Amino acid sequence: MPVVVLDNLHKTFRVKQKAPGLRGSIRSLVRAEWNTVEAVKGVSLALDEGDLLAFIGPNGAGKSTTIKMLTGILFPTGGQAQVLGYVPWQQRRALAYHIGSVFGQKPQLWYHLPPQDTFELFAHIYELDRTAFQKRKDFLVEALGIGDWLATPVRKLSLGQRMRCEIAASLLHGPRILFLDEPTIGLDVIAKQQLREAIKTLHDAENLTIFLTSHDAGDVESLCKRVIVINHGQVIFDDRTSALKRRFLRRKIIGVRFGEPVPDDFSVRDATLLKRGTWGVKIELDTHVRPVDDLIKALMSFAPVVDITVEDPPMEQIIREIYQADESVQIKGSPEPAPASAERQSEPAAE
Amino acid sequence: MLKRLRVEAGFVGKLVRLNLASNMEYRATFLTQAIGMFINNGIYFVFWLLFFDRFEEIRGYQIEQIFLLFAIVALGWGLAFTFAGNAPRLAQMVAEGRLDYYLTLPRPVLPHLLFTRMDPFTMGDLTFGVIAYLFTGRFDVISIGLFLACAVLVAVICASFYATIGCLSFFVGNATQWSFGLANALVTFSLYPLGLFQGGIRLVLFTVIPAAFVGGVPVEVVETHSLMLLGALAGAAAISVLVLNVVFRIGLRRYESGSAIHVNI
Repeated sequence: MPVVVLDNLHKTFRVKQKAPGLRGSIRSLVRAEWNTVEAVKGVSLALDEGDLLAFIGPNGAGKSTTIKMLTGILFPTGGQAQVLGYVPWQQRRALAYHIGSVFGQKPQLWYHLPPQDTFELFAHIYELDRTAFQKRKDFLVEALGIGDWLATPVRKLSLGQRMRCEIAASLLHGPRILFLDEPTIGLDVIAKQQLREAIKTLHDAENLTIFLTSHDAGDVESLCKRVIVINHGQVIFDDRTSALKRRFLRRKIIGVRFGEPVPDDFSVRDATLLKRGTWGVKIELDTHVRPVDDLIKALMSFAPVVDITVEDPPMEQIIREIYQADESVQIKGSPEPAPASAERQSEPAAE
Repeated sequence: MLKRLRVEAGFVGKLVRLNLASNMEYRATFLTQAIGMFINNGIYFVFWLLFFDRFEEIRGYQIEQIFLLFAIVALGWGLAFTFAGNAPRLAQMVAEGRLDYYLTLPRPVLPHLLFTRMDPFTMGDLTFGVIAYLFTGRFDVISIGLFLACAVLVAVICASFYATIGCLSFFVGNATQWSFGLANALVTFSLYPLGLFQGGIRLVLFTVIPAAFVGGVPVEVVETHSLMLLGALAGAAAISVLVLNVVFRIGLRRYESGSAIHVNI
């Protein structure tokens, strides 16, 4: 039975428009002009208990707005939603006991105090039994590896350390669903990986349902079995992550810095040279045409390699490819309304 | 019901303790801000000392009544923002869409957000209020009891008024300046003898900007020991809370979360 159900959910905002400069400001003061922005346009989906869903899309796609409606922060303009049987914006307080949320850019930890003080406050907020709280805290401290920072003021923690403490705070009351809004935003590669591993551990240990938004395709690859891609407020892809990887995450961007200038005769087969500098190159590779390790071996044969990076293409490119895969879906600015999904399966994907 | 109240009171107590601990992280700033506010109040009072050096009274107020007026307003104002330190910030918080944190937790949003911050400036007001009262010479138990009761009710009115004006941000986009200006009007009008104001202005001071209930009425309660007036003051406080709750509840439906990065301090 689904624990999260969205049915044709809509949200519109009124946004004030102003011409540039002082003249624009004065004109706006006399006669304000407003635009209606449709942040979420008829999103429908269902999530089963224990699902780990990636809800991804570029900035401004409607991810955060959707998650805010599901946690009761925002009232929708239209449509229905139920989370664990509750209507979030009508039964916000009752629902809050059963869900946890972490907003990457909106910390809940008190900035000048150590995380353990916020944990104590949360024990009051959720009216937790003292013994149960202590036991739960010990479990989370162990699972997230945050024992060394509990007594350090939050302002002194790194972003990665802070984010792990944020997740611990949001799970203290043992929620059934965890909403994670851009939890890896701003983190370096290692911190991202550690956080992803921690999320996976908690999901596996507690059969926790996780609704994760991100604009980082790496989060999806590492964590989620199912992925929904949203753009301009509409779902354009809803399928297994393996399908996304097979079809749209096959390209990698490989950056190499050599220990000596790039040889004049440098060239690569079965890959596209995006940029060539004096000391390094950037290459786009289709992993279905040639494996990454094969290309790296070839690159190392040219000259000593000082540094190498392998990245996913940016989310905007993945979305462009999703649109291109289905010509009936039109890209931004189209006068035609886009269909709800480029590739959509009614059956929830559990691998 | 009683159990619920006890739980909520315990939660507010926890917030206040956490606020104190947070403020104590920067002891020097905390103390200088508190002392600064005390001096600020003192300078304002000098005007009245100079005035009463030349005149006997003004509309029935002598220097003792002015001491009492300042004591009540300063203590009430101090109490209001020691506990409800976010009331003056509500307009900006709403305008910038910074209520998300409170909306995701299972607590009544309004008290939670109001009590989540303590303003260190208010320590100066609290101290000033207590010291000013010592100059009134009213040391009988009833007067002290009424003074403290009035200060608490004044605190409720001040915090509710400031927060209600802040709620206008839900409707007009950004009411930060209105909030600041009207709160200044409340405190300024409350620091003058009530008898100075007549007609329409007096009506405004008993309704739209309830400065009469912050200054003149509580002074009369302590002076006359009138329980009826104390009841009127309690009624005004209750209405202030009610108005705040209604306006906040209606406004929350129009809330638009923002993308600004913010922290709880």
